[in-house]
Amino acid sequence: MLEPSVDLYGAAHERVREHLSDLLDRAKARYALVVDRKGFVLLHARAVWAPAPPSLDSLATLVASNHSANAAIAKLFGDDGFREIVQQGADVGTYVEELGPDALLLAVFDGKTTLGKVKVHAARAAVEIRSELAALRESDAPAPTFDASWSESTEKLLDGLFGPRDS
Amino acid sequence: MSTINFAAREINFKIVYYGPGLSGKTTNLKMIYERVPGEAKGEMVSLATEDERTLFFDFLPLDLGTVNGFKTRFHLYTVPGQVFYNSSRKLILRGVDGVVFVADSAPSRLRANAESLRNLRENLLEHDLRLSEIPYVLQINKRDLDDALPVEMIRQVLDPTGTVPAFEAVASRFEGVFEPLKGVSRMVLEKLAQKT
Ligand SMILES: Nc1nc2c(ncn2[C@@H]2O[C@H](COP(=O)(O)OP(=O)(O)O)[C@@H](O)[C@H]2O)c(=O)[nH]1
Ligand SMILES: [Mg+2]
Repeated sequence: MLEPSVDLYGAAHERVREHLSDLLDRAKARYALVVDRKGFVLLHARAVWAPAPPSLDSLATLVASNHSANAAIAKLFGDDGFREIVQQGADVGTYVEELGPDALLLAVFDGKTTLGKVKVHAARAAVEIRSELAALRESDAPAPTFDASWSESTEKLLDGLFGPRDS
Repeated sequence: MSTINFAAREINFKIVYYGPGLSGKTTNLKMIYERVPGEAKGEMVSLATEDERTLFFDFLPLDLGTVNGFKTRFHLYTVPGQVFYNSSRKLILRGVDGVVFVADSAPSRLRANAESLRNLRENLLEHDLRLSEIPYVLQINKRDLDDALPVEMIRQVLDPTGTVPAFEAVASRFEGVFEPLKGVSRMVLEKLAQKT
């Protein structure tokens, strides 16, 4: 398909997870996420001291959409995209780095740190994660099996969720 | 197109509700949110103007359950229908796995239905996708209107070959809301099974 999705698994997954926790430690940020550009969460990390995060699905969707919208704005001016996407509120701020064509790195921070610090460490983490993702695309992801039993189970789940009345 | 996250053991699908402005797309998502049990749904996000018109999208994540160790999830989106929001519509179609086209039965909206469908085809092409290649169903909404056009007339315009699964609905009364979603979900799941 034209738009490959990012598959993070096995050892690469563990290494990216470590880059995220390093980023949190060094930048003193609250949360760090790797988000698919379609809006799905691929990986997330939370600082031990950080409050429980909001819905990560909502966060990922809004970040990915916002990023696309920003790219569209830049395009209006003939630019490829904005080099930096920062949002800063009274208490929290967000910083986004692109991770190749398919993913984004998001850092969420608060008054415990500074934007400068977050940027430096997010940029460093992004370099590492980008090369992990680039290597991934060349290797083969393990294929889950979608056999008859899988179809049967999904059919049952659909009936359970939406009612058995046939369409 | 589906996103398979092996580490989290999740399979994610993106389903987009498309159609002309005010055909009932947001109403579908609201009804689904109300009727699906708590453990199967996440938060609903609406990016709307003050008068509740969709500005960017509505978003609702649904959990189908776990199959063969993989959590299977559907992310539902609506697009804004008004002609001038086309850039938003284009962005939302990124990575789409399935489409529910919500048509309006009002006689005055027949043309708007046709134009929206043409717009969908054009926007999909920008993502190198063809409507005939992705799971796609029709919901013919607002069947309760006194002057609702005959279903055959609407189908004739939107699906002359009669090959697209179509569902009649009164979304505001929760009639015909789950059926098209179930239909497109099933098609999306089957497509994944065939591909592998
Ligand atoms: N009569 C009637 N009205 C509907 C139906 N479904 C939605 N509506 C109304 O149509 C209007 C537009 O609906 P909305 O979901 O916001 O449309 P959207 O622009 O496609 O998102 C609202 O006032 C709804 O209450 C229906 O089946 N019948
Ligand atoms: Mg709407």
